[in-house]
Amino acid sequence: MNEIDHKADVVIIGGGVNGCSLAYQLSKRGMKVVLCEKGYLCSGATGRCGAGIRQQWSTRENSELAIKSIQIFERLEQELGQDIGLRQGGYLIVVHDKSDMKQAKSNVNMQKALGLDVSILTPDEIVDIVPILDVNGMHAVGATFCPTDGHVDPFKTTHAYAQAAIKHGAQLYKFTKVVGIKKKNKRIDSVLTDRGKISTDFVINAAGAWSKQIAEMVGVKLPNKPFRKEILVTERVKPLFDAMVISFKDGIYFSQQEEGQVLGGIPIPNEKPGYLTAPTFDFLHHMAKTLARYAPPLKHVNVIRQWTGYYDVTPDALPIIGEVEGIKGFIQCNGFSGHGFMLSPMVTKILTAYIADGRTPHILKRLSLSRFKGKKIVREVSVVG
Amino acid sequence: MRIRNHPIIDFKKKREISFYFNKKKMYGEEGDTIASALHANDVKVLSHSLRYKRPRGFFCGIGKCSSCFMTVNDIPNVRTCITPVKENIKVMEQDKGGELPNKQFINKDKKRIDVEIVIIGSGPAGLMAALAAAEQGASVLLIDENHMVGGQLVKQTHRFFGSREEKAGMRGIELAVELMKKVVEYKESIQLMLATTVIGCYKGKKRHNLIAVQKLADGDQLFEINGHKIIVACGALENMLAFPGNDLPGVYGAGGVQTLMNVYGVKPGKCVLMVGAGNVGLIVSYQLLQAGIMVDRVVEAMPKIGGYHVHAAKLRRCGVPIYTSHSIKEAYGKEKVEGAVVVKVDDYCQPISGTEENISCDTICLAVGLTPSIRLIEQIGVRTEFILEAGGHVAVHDSSMQTNVRGIYIAGDSSGIEEASTAMIEGQLAGVSAATSLGYDKNASEVKRKCRSALKVFRSGPFGEIPRVGKEKIACCYRNGGLTY
Repeated sequence: MNEIDHKADVVIIGGGVNGCSLAYQLSKRGMKVVLCEKGYLCSGATGRCGAGIRQQWSTRENSELAIKSIQIFERLEQELGQDIGLRQGGYLIVVHDKSDMKQAKSNVNMQKALGLDVSILTPDEIVDIVPILDVNGMHAVGATFCPTDGHVDPFKTTHAYAQAAIKHGAQLYKFTKVVGIKKKNKRIDSVLTDRGKISTDFVINAAGAWSKQIAEMVGVKLPNKPFRKEILVTERVKPLFDAMVISFKDGIYFSQQEEGQVLGGIPIPNEKPGYLTAPTFDFLHHMAKTLARYAPPLKHVNVIRQWTGYYDVTPDALPIIGEVEGIKGFIQCNGFSGHGFMLSPMVTKILTAYIADGRTPHILKRLSLSRFKGKKIVREVSVVG
Repeated sequence: MRIRNHPIIDFKKKREISFYFNKKKMYGEEGDTIASALHANDVKVLSHSLRYKRPRGFFCGIGKCSSCFMTVNDIPNVRTCITPVKENIKVMEQDKGGELPNKQFINKDKKRIDVEIVIIGSGPAGLMAALAAAEQGASVLLIDENHMVGGQLVKQTHRFFGSREEKAGMRGIELAVELMKKVVEYKESIQLMLATTVIGCYKGKKRHNLIAVQKLADGDQLFEINGHKIIVACGALENMLAFPGNDLPGVYGAGGVQTLMNVYGVKPGKCVLMVGAGNVGLIVSYQLLQAGIMVDRVVEAMPKIGGYHVHAAKLRRCGVPIYTSHSIKEAYGKEKVEGAVVVKVDDYCQPISGTEENISCDTICLAVGLTPSIRLIEQIGVRTEFILEAGGHVAVHDSSMQTNVRGIYIAGDSSGIEEASTAMIEGQLAGVSAATSLGYDKNASEVKRKCRSALKVFRSGPFGEIPRVGKEKIACCYRNGGLTY
């Protein structure tokens, strides 16, 4: 392997969508950027995710980030000059009972106030949008639907960011592991990798499920926990539906890909945190059963693959972004709790503005690590998978 | 397009079976798969690619690629290359993904099987593993996704090399029959499940779980199989080579061609360009000649022929030239191969411009190596490493063929690309080891010792060097937890 650069303005740890997006945006602003990835690009959660992008959330923070993120995704193909596989077929969120409906109505009101085109559907309208759904089987009393939600290809997007970053002079080091971070007088001094030392002012911790270990290198304790999440994909069949179907109660999500495969996931009951990688039969069984209940026509379709990835979960299911108090230059970009891909455009834009221009929008304070200190936290409840 | 005269195999006409392709009536013969019957009817285009609608034809012939996916009796995505043709079935080319299937599973509930040793794959390694374990006294379930046992042995019409003890002098097709006879003799302890695909492999504390689907006459049946020990012997996949036109119908894997002509008695085409002069390329070229098919030439990108001298000499005596330091630049043709451009390459395998030569041919055969099939063992969490000499990513294993996951064994090409002979010995070793770990012991240590010394003999000498280095690296990875290049 070649000699690495020993000096940079910013070192980004993690070659997922957030790391690569940051590498692109910061290098475009003229900063000298080095990215270290311990595997290959997209080898973590980005390359294993369900690839959905949605704006329907229960907390204002996530909704705001998501709405602005989709606006960026809509322009991204043009900006990067590469196909990112954007398809906006909407998200259909199943509502199962009265209390669900109460939460849905309050979510929709908040989302509408932010300018989102979102509506509440009757059971009949659900079938108009996704004809293969069985309203009784999934115990639906209604649904919420936002037509501008959809899918983006995580591989195409991340590689488009990476190539654009390289064009602007960023160095992306794959198979390069960060083994230590040094600070001096409450400031970041340098990053130690298995290929040598890099002096820098800023370190961005975008290491996904491994962010906790990275933060520990400078004595910062993150509340994040890794959770194994499983996902499967079926053989390809003719186009059946455009929307992503999800339920917060059952935790299921599924959609049909452009080539015809149906892809989706569901949490298995009593899953404990930890770095488990093996796929389980329990998941396959639970997912197949639930999927067949939601969409009976799919029950004879073959599953061709299942795999696992990690959610990097925080106590309130909201990301941790921004500088850590007391260590100048140590920036967090993690804790996405399963939503890192869809929130990445806006989160990385905010962080770029902070690092390059010193701007601190209000949302950065609300999503900082210090929010967990002693205060009561408001949990995001619109979570699947 | 049928082969009728063959020096080794008797391809006499068998009972005719009629079926429909895109509503047109066609005839196959007993023993055909859908894809071989279509090929015999000169149907070369089996599907079209999803995005660019490029035609796709027969490639691997053993259910490993997706180019033969078709809709059969309203079930989409059927691997027609491993599905037997049956009277009056309706075969359709499918547009995009195909219709939704509706009656694929015959039972709502899965069936459960508990057994001591499960062996996945009934090729040389799997068959020997089953016999070795049964000889020790263990009860065995032998699973294969094809409708016959033998794996790739069933298409090996050449005689094997090596010592007499290791079946040298026998042809693969004879070996498959002989081993199958023995399996039948052990029918008390070896249960055989054909047309069964293992779709999932999950680690358990005492026993491991497999999920499998068996194709039966009236639909599919789902199985949950619990085994104390699992031996994975699911072989390898043929490598592809990157060049324009490599997806045209008429570009085959060399193994695919072998299957088509030696198992089903169907000619792949009239005139062949063989790419690769390793043993597979040389042997298949000779077998093409035996089937009455012309071989224009063999091209080999390396400056030297990779296979045994005897195989190359046989070809040369028949007037087939072997061009070293040459490779294929492109294949061309509308809907199917009509010709190819070959080119001289330099020491770095880069084409030398100005040396292009146009060849008229309807078949291009790729004999450019194999990649171990590791999908199931990866799923169960076995550690894999990239080892070039073993053919790519392989499972690390110890000298008893056990992987780092207790109770999971590996043998044959899926533990590193080698010959059928070594696959058989590895299978035997894995079978005995799995049985002894369950407490059986009929002179087991002596059998194991013999296996290990036979493997050593096979891997000595210049032609054994690559697999020997591969296996040494695997052993090193197993002990030390990794390689540093």
